[in-house]
Formats: sequence, C-alpha cells, structure tokens
Amino acid sequence: MIAALLPTGTTPLLAAAVASGTVSLWLLLPQAPGSDWLGHRRGALGLVLGVAALAALAWAGRRLGGLGDEAVFQIVSLVAIVGGAATVVTRSPVYSAIWFALALAGVAGVLLVLGAQFLGVATIVVYAGAILVMFLFVLMLAQPSGLAPYDRVSNEPLLAAIAGGVLLALLTTSIGRLSADPPACCTIPSRADAVATAPVGPAAADALAADPLARLGRELFGRHLLAVEAAGLLLLVALVGAIAVVSRGEVAEATRKGAS
Amino acid sequence: MFPALLHDALTVGAVLFVLGLVGILTRRNLIVMFLSAELMLQGISVSLVAWSRYHGDFGGQALVVFVLTVAACEAAVALVFVLQAFSRTGRLDAAAWQSLRDAEVPRRIDRELPATDAAPPVWPQLTPAGVRPRRDETAEPEREHV
Repeated sequence: MIAALLPTGTTPLLAAAVASGTVSLWLLLPQAPGSDWLGHRRGALGLVLGVAALAALAWAGRRLGGLGDEAVFQIVSLVAIVGGAATVVTRSPVYSAIWFALALAGVAGVLLVLGAQFLGVATIVVYAGAILVMFLFVLMLAQPSGLAPYDRVSNEPLLAAIAGGVLLALLTTSIGRLSADPPACCTIPSRADAVATAPVGPAAADALAADPLARLGRELFGRHLLAVEAAGLLLLVALVGAIAVVSRGEVAEATRKGAS
Repeated sequence: MFPALLHDALTVGAVLFVLGLVGILTRRNLIVMFLSAELMLQGISVSLVAWSRYHGDFGGQALVVFVLTVAACEAAVALVFVLQAFSRTGRLDAAAWQSLRDAEVPRRIDRELPATDAAPPVWPQLTPAGVRPRRDETAEPEREHV
C-alpha cells in the first residue's frame, strides 16, 4: 500500500511542504525592517506559509498511513516543531529560550509515545529543568535591555533557509524510500526479527518487555557500564573545567586592572 | 513492513535537526546559537529512540542517555565561554569575534538599524472606577498612620 502511494501521491506533497517551509523560515528569520518590497508583511506571509508547510507535512504523513492513527503523536510532534521553529525565528533570546522549553515538552511527548518513558521524563528534568535555567541565568546576566542590534539581523537567512530545505528534502526522500522498499543492501538485521526467529529463552522473547525501564537499566549498566563510568568522569571534568575557566578569567581580569 | 510510526518519528527528528541547523547558521546571538545546537540534539534523540523502538533494542535509548549527559556538560562549559566572551566584548554577538575569520573572508559590516523595530508598547491603562471614600479625620485619630 505504501509502495503504491509513495512515488505518485506523496512526493509532490512532501516537496511542497519542504519548499513552503523553507520560504517561511526565510521570511520569518530576523532581518532588518524595510530591506525589501515585502516590508512588514513578511511576518504574516511567513506564518501563513509555515502553517501550510505543517499541514502538507501532516497530510503527507497521513497518506503514508501514519499520522491520524496516532492523534497524540500528531499533537506532540506539532508542539515540538512549532516550538523549534519559534526558537529559531524569535528575536528576543529570552522568548527564544521559553519557546525552546515548549519544544522540549513536545519532544518529551514524542519520546513518551515512542515508549521511552525514562528519556521523556529525563528530557524534561535535565533539559527544561537544568540546562534551560542555566541558559536563562546567562541571558539575565548578559542581555542588554531591549533588543540588541545583533538580535534583529541574521547571517545570510536566504542561503541558510535554502541549505536547510535541501537537507530536509534529502532526509525526507531517503526516509520515504526506506519505508517504500528497504533495499537489500541496507536492511539492518533487526533485533526484533532475530528474537522472533531464533529459538531463545523466555527472557529474550519479550522484545518490548512489560517493564522497559528495567530493560534500559540493564542495558545501561550491562553493555554500557564502562561508558556510564566515562560519562560520570566527563561530568566531573566539565564541572571542574567550568569553575577553573571562570576563576582564571577573574584572576586575569584582576591582574589587568591591577596593571593599568 | 516499515512501520508508519517510525517513518513519522524520523521525519519529526529530521525537521527538528534542520530547524536547529538553520538557527545555528543564521542567528548571531551566541545563546540562541547554543539553543539551536540543543535543538539539533533533540532531533537526533528522537531519531535514535525511534530506531531503538523499531529494533526492539535499547541501545538507542542508552545512547540518548549519553547524549543528555554530554549536552549537560557542553552547556556548562559553553556557557562559561560565552560569559568570558561577553565580559571581553560586552556583547553576545558572534560577529564581535570576526577578527578570528579566515584571511580571504570579507569583513561583515552591519547596516544601520533603526533604534527599535516598532513603537514602544502601549500598556493598557485602567480607568479609575468608583469613588474614593471620604474619611473623617477627627473621628478616628488612631487611624492617621494607617
């Protein structure tokens, strides 16, 4: 069914989604006002095109037999994508960080739908709870009042939007081709298939066990035990390094002031 | 058969990654650039978890745990560097460091910008309502400090 639909049905739709998304991103990115004939209408036009791109993307997914069955997935992925786009195009960095928190909520929802409970909660706790607050602290320390000039212009928005559109077109095309017919060269031996075919014990038969949290823990502290230790060491090094760099900067500042 | 949920999750991951890529290419505020990098990491995480579910293997999820760890470390160290850069230039502008560019790259010169994008916001003002109650000072001397 998917193979029958894909070459004719969804390719123009996906292309339209990518193209209008690219143009919308270009229109919405911060640029000097009055730089072209669109003037202040570019925001409204960009929003309209962005909504059209999202609708086309959702419609293409529905034609593929996906979205629509999974209404929850559709909603949370919409939240994630809208939040991510607003993070990129919002002028004020503080609002940008808040939009990023919304995108994180959407991503956590996507992870929950995909059955990764621990990661969904960890994304909220670690990202929205810790990393984002750190970003906001630095913003409060360093942000001048009002909008700085460098927040109201951006580097080459047209070229960057085109680059993003090309990359997105390549990715969606390859994902679509992957789902149409997985080529013989690139089919990864699936663990699920292996479990289904191989005569193994009852412990390995539950590919998605009733308690995925415990299985993730077994995976982390079994196969990746050394990596967990290395990650702990990395956290320690980052902590010490951050403090060392800050205090060395303060010492340098003090010596410079003392010398002058 | 290739499950539709995997296809959709991979698409969402790709869109998030591309949005982060465009952000890190265009935005000039150092903090927003780091936010965009984190957005790219989110896209990667979604893709990894989708593949992890497809294969029934928890290796992808374990990898996302490490992505989270490294993102936390990266944010701590990077924000320290951003603060250092800010204390040197007084700006969060990536173009403030363009003296580090390659020799053949032309210098970026900002055009003159108007002071603000639009007129200052007009806050709503409440119309005074009701009548101020009249007070009898002689009757209540103990209330004069209230």
